[in-house]
Amino acid sequence: MMKLSYIIREGIIGIKRSRMPFMISVFSVTIALLVVGLGVLAVDNSLEYLGEFQADYDLEIFLKNEATTHQKQELAAIVRDYPGVFRMEYLSKEDAAALYNAEFGEDVLSLLDDNPLPSSFRITFEEDHRSADYILTFIHNMNELAGVDEVIFKKDLFNRVQGIMQLVYTVSTVTLFIIILSTVFLTANNLRLMILARYEFIETVRLLGASDFLIKAPFFLEGGILGFLGASFSVLLIILAEYVMKVYVHIDLPIKIIHHPEVILGLILFGVSLSSLGVLKAVRKMLRFVA
Amino acid sequence: MIQFDKVFLRYDTGISLRDLNFTIEKDEFVYLYGDSGSGKSSILKMIYLDLFPNSGSVNVLGSDSNNIKRRDIANIRQRIGMVFQNFHLLSDRDIYSNIALPLELQGLKADVVRSKVSLKADELGIRSRLSHYPHELSAGEQQKVALARAMVISPDILLADEPIAHLDEKSAADVLKYIWKIHETGTSVIFATHNEILLKQDPARTMTIVAGEVVKDIP
Repeated sequence: MMKLSYIIREGIIGIKRSRMPFMISVFSVTIALLVVGLGVLAVDNSLEYLGEFQADYDLEIFLKNEATTHQKQELAAIVRDYPGVFRMEYLSKEDAAALYNAEFGEDVLSLLDDNPLPSSFRITFEEDHRSADYILTFIHNMNELAGVDEVIFKKDLFNRVQGIMQLVYTVSTVTLFIIILSTVFLTANNLRLMILARYEFIETVRLLGASDFLIKAPFFLEGGILGFLGASFSVLLIILAEYVMKVYVHIDLPIKIIHHPEVILGLILFGVSLSSLGVLKAVRKMLRFVA
Repeated sequence: MIQFDKVFLRYDTGISLRDLNFTIEKDEFVYLYGDSGSGKSSILKMIYLDLFPNSGSVNVLGSDSNNIKRRDIANIRQRIGMVFQNFHLLSDRDIYSNIALPLELQGLKADVVRSKVSLKADELGIRSRLSHYPHELSAGEQQKVALARAMVISPDILLADEPIAHLDEKSAADVLKYIWKIHETGTSVIFATHNEILLKQDPARTMTIVAGEVVKDIP
């Protein structure tokens, strides 16, 4: 118990005694996590923008005018249960007319006596079933069902957008991985310098009979505090950046960090573990060197 | 208490210690006498388990260097007080914190730490310096602080590596007087020195080291 109080006290005293190296390390963790956080948000927002470019739905099944209510219900049940279908929306002939009206500003019933627009189902697939091949198979199966007139799938646009999204995803994943690796390397190096400056303390307490655990624990705590502060500052800076973009640049990002506590938590956990483990590794290395 | 058995220690630059065989009993005062580089400090380092022999064994307070576990080294060191030529004080802590450190490492309560530190500071006449920092003290006072830190844990053994080498006559006399006083209260003392006058002034068992070998061991 008393040793725990020693660990906590030494951890805090360590911060006070090496204020400058500590602050430099917090700054470096802040910058590193800022880059990581902005990277994650940039990727998410890019994918979101691309997703918006894509239609709200993947394909549309148009029904024959003579399709009966029973056929429509049967069709709805088949589509709903089809593996990979994420969302299905039924548009009646009246809905289609209203959409036409909204889009072209003219009432189709005033042009023609009868509503020629067909009723339809709009289908959206789950992310992992969103491939052209899978959708083409689906179309083939749908075309064989009674009541179906035509299935419209803008394959070229779909493929292009999917391709771009895949490319963005791959490039950004690789880039983020490199950024994270650089972050780990730079932070670890910086923490090593911070620990090197504490050589005198480590060597002295070692000679006075401190166990390895008792030497490492205060530094581990110090590293945790350092990482927490660095990560928190980076989150605050990202929130500030989002605010500045909205107010001064008039860009309201669809995905903001403030709405994603899991990203905030992830950054803080990453910062805390990166710093505390980085410090621990540096101390362990020094102990191997001095012992 | 301390036993060296056929101890050899090789550095990359060549053999440092060869065929050391000796025993130091409880309550003994032993001088390790020799020139700089003769191997005195290496012997002290082997006693506080900072160096390990390439062959042979060193037994300290019942623990053998050949099969001691890393965590047990810390326990052994908590029973050994050490005083170095260059003091090894923490420059960013006041004198109180420097002396208190080994007690805090043992997990003692704050009031116990306070009373033990005060007692040692009184014994060494450095109570008025407790709130100062090492750089504000003379070399003699710094060595007294180092002695207080070494003795505050009431160790079984005191290792002193040229403790008066950098001190003026008065400070050296004070430090020596205190070390002998410690010895009289039952602490074993191993005192490394190159100062021949000291051996005549305060005679005790003297092991003369030349080029890593004990060439004379006079009780």
